[in-house]
Amino acid sequence: MKHITLASKNLLRRPVRTVLTVSGVSLAVAVAVSLGGFNLGYREALDRSIERLGFQMMIMAKGCPYEAATMMLKGGTGLLYLPADIYNTVKSDPSIQSITPIFVGIAAKEGSSIRDDVSTQSFSIISGIDTESFMTMKPWLKFKTGTGYDPGRWFEHNSTTEVVLGFEAAQYEQRKVGDSFYATVTPNGQTEVKTHEFKITGILDRTGTQDDGTVFMPLKNAQSIFNRTNDLTIIGIKLKKFGAVELREFEGRWLKIPEVQVVSLEQVKGTLVSLVGTAQVMIAAVAIIAVIVAVIGVVNTILMSVYERTGEIGVMKALGAYRSDIFRLIWLETLAVCTTGGLLGCLIAIVGASVVEAAIRGLINLGVQGSIVRITPGLIGGALVASILLGFFAGLYPAWRAASMRPIEAIREGE
Amino acid sequence: MSQTPHSVIIRGRGLKRYYRRGIETVKALDGVDIDIHTGEMVSIVGPSGSGKTTLVNLLSCLDAPSAGELSLDGKLLAGLAEDRLAGVRRGLLGFIFQKFHLIPTLTVAENVELPLMFLNRPTDRKATLAVLTSVGLASRADHRPKELSGGEMQRVAVARALITNPKVMIADEPTGNLDKATGEAIFSLLHSLVKNQGLTVIITTHNLALAYQADRIITIEDGRIVKEERGER
Repeated sequence: MKHITLASKNLLRRPVRTVLTVSGVSLAVAVAVSLGGFNLGYREALDRSIERLGFQMMIMAKGCPYEAATMMLKGGTGLLYLPADIYNTVKSDPSIQSITPIFVGIAAKEGSSIRDDVSTQSFSIISGIDTESFMTMKPWLKFKTGTGYDPGRWFEHNSTTEVVLGFEAAQYEQRKVGDSFYATVTPNGQTEVKTHEFKITGILDRTGTQDDGTVFMPLKNAQSIFNRTNDLTIIGIKLKKFGAVELREFEGRWLKIPEVQVVSLEQVKGTLVSLVGTAQVMIAAVAIIAVIVAVIGVVNTILMSVYERTGEIGVMKALGAYRSDIFRLIWLETLAVCTTGGLLGCLIAIVGASVVEAAIRGLINLGVQGSIVRITPGLIGGALVASILLGFFAGLYPAWRAASMRPIEAIREGE
Repeated sequence: MSQTPHSVIIRGRGLKRYYRRGIETVKALDGVDIDIHTGEMVSIVGPSGSGKTTLVNLLSCLDAPSAGELSLDGKLLAGLAEDRLAGVRRGLLGFIFQKFHLIPTLTVAENVELPLMFLNRPTDRKATLAVLTSVGLASRADHRPKELSGGEMQRVAVARALITNPKVMIADEPTGNLDKATGEAIFSLLHSLVKNQGLTVIITTHNLALAYQADRIITIEDGRIVKEERGER
């Protein structure tokens, strides 16, 4: 018989207590792994979303940096506009590789949607674009093909009746190529709403970005229906050479225009990370508390078990066990509890990742598309190592207490 | 160290064991000289609190004397730390306790093999069964302690003590929790071990009828040996 066999049999002596202690550890590990997965997944999703914007920086009207960040990634809220002629001015900057003007407006679906649940999806994001420069920025945009999807095309440059739908916008509205799309708009400076009918010329394939929920139309037409013919929402820019120095130089050249701010993707990332940071700190605090409670639970359980077996420990010493034998025995029990808890916790975190993702998305608006909880083998490995270390340290005191018992006193106490 | 028949295996001189109880000093053992010979069965008797368990604890290296000299199998034990005392005990002494102290989650065979784990010796199922056969419990090898009677549990404890082939068996009140017939059976088992295997056995007991079946009976009162007699064995 080995020490580990004896240790595991000891744990089975009080199965309910052992199961409860293991459950405590597994829950703490599950919370910690989910949080780690969220940190990892969120940053990756953010990187992916920002990369898929196609541009490295944008020029937009001065305002709150959080709104700027949300604008870039979700495209819909807190719309501010800048004069369209700024586009022609900035375009001449020699450091620019490519540049695209974008007009964003919000259209009500009132009376046009086939759905009744108006609470959350009662608005469409309308994006007015110049297809040629827009596609230079986002060459990966493709039209959806395959069963149930007719071949699509971009709208004519000067069309006033054609739109292209992002994948999710089309799915939500259950529209296909050739169908009509209605948008109800309140033109700038007017009080009466106007409903426009458009023909859908194409449906884009899924990109995992804000483009999936957007309705695209020619820039001029978008400006026209919103009665903002001289306004833009953002100017997307890709520099020939991008770095901190180039960004500073570019900002220095264009921040002199009073109405605009130059926002780089790194700034956006920082803003969004700090936006979510508070929530992450709170979740981390919960995870740390859960781990501390779990450690206390483990130490308590093993100590109780040691005290209950005082007589046995004395007898084992009488039978020839050294202090190190008793120490190892109790320590192995703690390690077994923590390792099993760690394994179960990782399993719970893997299985429950989608639930955690839905819960986080329900709590806070993250501004990114795609999966935000990513549980990697490295994360699982780290959690298991941490669980073993937890057992390593949690077991020290009970093991020391047991090993320090004098045999004759232990036997006497046990009787 | 090899022993000649009837050579002294345990020798104690001027053994004292004092305890502090509040401001009072309790003289549990107050100057005991004792020799235990190889192959001898010795009963230690006396009223409760007389010091017989304290004496056995000292003789079995489970406790250290406050004063006096003690040697076991030729090794002087004065001033040894706990682990060193454990080192002296290992493989040399076997123990039987009044309350058996079997591990409830282990089978009978696993309980018997437990000391081998601490001695880093490999287990051998045949050897385990042979020891269990010697105490009449081979058929119970895979049972749990809770499935055994008191007498059977004490037999398992005897087998556990025997598995390491000890030279000395220490039995502290081994019949204290057993009925008369079962107690006699355990005593008779210990008798046969002395007779057939040349084991040295030290027993503490309140049962004078059983005590007198030993080679020698030592009576202890107030921490001192007051009488030594020859037994009936």
